[in-house]
Amino acid sequence: MTRATSLHLGDFTSSVSVYGNQAVPKYYGDALVQVAREIPEVMCLGCDLSASTETDVFRDAIPERFVMIGMQEANAIGVASGMARMGDIPFVHSFGVFMTRRAFDQVAMQVAYPKNNVKIVGFLPGLTTLLGVSHQAIEDISLMRSLPGMTVIEPAGAAQALAAVRAVAGYNGPVYLRMERASESLADDQPLMELEIGKAQTLCEGEDLAIFACGLMVGHALKAADILTDRFGIACSVINMHTIKPLDKQAVLQQAVQGKGIITAENHSVIGGLGSAVAEVLAEAGKENTFLRVGIQDTFAQGGSLSYLQEKYGLSVAHLVRVSADLLNKTLKEQDQ
Amino acid sequence: MKSHPQDRTETLQQQANRIRQQVIRLVARRGQGYVQQGLGAADIFTAIYLNEMNIHAGYFSDIGRDRCILSTAHNSAVFHATLAEAGLLDSNRLDTYCDDGSELEVNVSERLGDSVEATCGSLGQGLSVAVGMALSAKKKALHGRYFVILGDGEMQEGQTWEAAMSAASFGLDNICLVVDMNRMQVEGDTDQVIKMEPVADKWRAFGWEVCEVDGNNMEGLLRSFSRARNNTEKPFAVIAHTVAGKGVPFLEGQLSHNMVLDATTANDALKVLEEAS
Repeated sequence: MTRATSLHLGDFTSSVSVYGNQAVPKYYGDALVQVAREIPEVMCLGCDLSASTETDVFRDAIPERFVMIGMQEANAIGVASGMARMGDIPFVHSFGVFMTRRAFDQVAMQVAYPKNNVKIVGFLPGLTTLLGVSHQAIEDISLMRSLPGMTVIEPAGAAQALAAVRAVAGYNGPVYLRMERASESLADDQPLMELEIGKAQTLCEGEDLAIFACGLMVGHALKAADILTDRFGIACSVINMHTIKPLDKQAVLQQAVQGKGIITAENHSVIGGLGSAVAEVLAEAGKENTFLRVGIQDTFAQGGSLSYLQEKYGLSVAHLVRVSADLLNKTLKEQDQ
Repeated sequence: MKSHPQDRTETLQQQANRIRQQVIRLVARRGQGYVQQGLGAADIFTAIYLNEMNIHAGYFSDIGRDRCILSTAHNSAVFHATLAEAGLLDSNRLDTYCDDGSELEVNVSERLGDSVEATCGSLGQGLSVAVGMALSAKKKALHGRYFVILGDGEMQEGQTWEAAMSAASFGLDNICLVVDMNRMQVEGDTDQVIKMEPVADKWRAFGWEVCEVDGNNMEGLLRSFSRARNNTEKPFAVIAHTVAGKGVPFLEGQLSHNMVLDATTANDALKVLEEAS
């Protein structure tokens, strides 16, 4: 059993790095400042979690456009709505659970229904926290996806953070941006990823299997695809579904060719999230592909290290490989990691 | 102000009376609705929309305009009647009130158009929106004022106090809140449902300037709003004690959240109001 000894970077404080002397990367915070310098209407609202949401960067860089609301998520959504009605583009920040589950009615009535230009930014997606069930947003996508007119975005890690913030700020309407904090610096030669709202990104192509993934599962899916090819000769497509709503239906249907397995992978409940969204498209188009959802299987989770939780709840690369192989009736020839 | 204060008060009282008549007519179309709240709050709506708010040509396109947020969105008959009286809504549209497909809904929504500043009705949300507007206005150096009409029952919603705390914390002296203390909620007398007194002390404790007033006394209301206008550094709360059904003696004091209003009662009520005008 993995022992959880330290908080993840996204947990309450990151003023002291939990990674020794390594600087805590703040790709989201830096991106928001960069975009705010280009778009003067962008405002940054916080709910007592500046460091955890990387908005301390904004607070220090552009203090006149930073508003600390305090531990008042419902009020913060209403305040953001009022500001949007005055022409501002408020980005409201907290942990995803509090922005969505706690303030759902306020989001529905003051953001989604009036189509206000409010950007709701939720951190600690799914299992990415030691803090356990109270802080794990495992149904936030489902909640936000059910609101008419709400756009739901989850970038595939730090490399896509800047593009996500830029796309969201430039889009006129309500958005839920689901953010994971970076856990390590990007490699020097790692290119930043683009993001066009509503346009899925096919990262690799293969004829046997397609994995539709979002957030941290995109990286897992790419690793799984390599293993599947190497070990089992399974040719796999991996599609980054950074926009969960509106879903790129065409991208789904393109993969739905006869005999090809389809898997969704998300750091979220399998109910109501990406898996449901893809299933709806497939079912309505009458596609009969073998289909499987990887995600949190209709259960609340416990606190723990990410690696432990991913293993326990079936979000690890190994699990993804296993179910992919099973789905295509391949037999595991050797024990996976 | 625009004329001799006493004349002004009398004019506003007459307008409030006309609005009350309209409330009866509007609710009578369906035979049931928010009669008691409308009659009780008519003076508050009149004072805000027909005296305090700066409503001018090009009003809706003016980002710095005064705004009033109706947190008690169910109080729609008096709201629509007041908008029409203030020239913010075409009177002809009143004829569609609560009809299927009409933008004049039982609970006020933004479908109506620019004159609805936020869709409330899910109670306790209006003040938060006003805080956002007032804060944004301060940052932009706009001089608009942000009125909120809050029902006394809404004070049972915790968000009210989140918003109260933040308004005071941000020093939003451009907010003027009116708590319509009609003592009525679905289950009956507010204080018997859940104890809320001392209301004025609560707002003071949250950092607000507070003024308590008879919400059916036009002169007193105008004085309160005048104080609010000149208040600095703190948001201002007018605790306005109103009488449900005010203006129609046989309805006054009846705590009925959604009252049946048959044609005979409506006609009798209209007669009383017309005689008083």
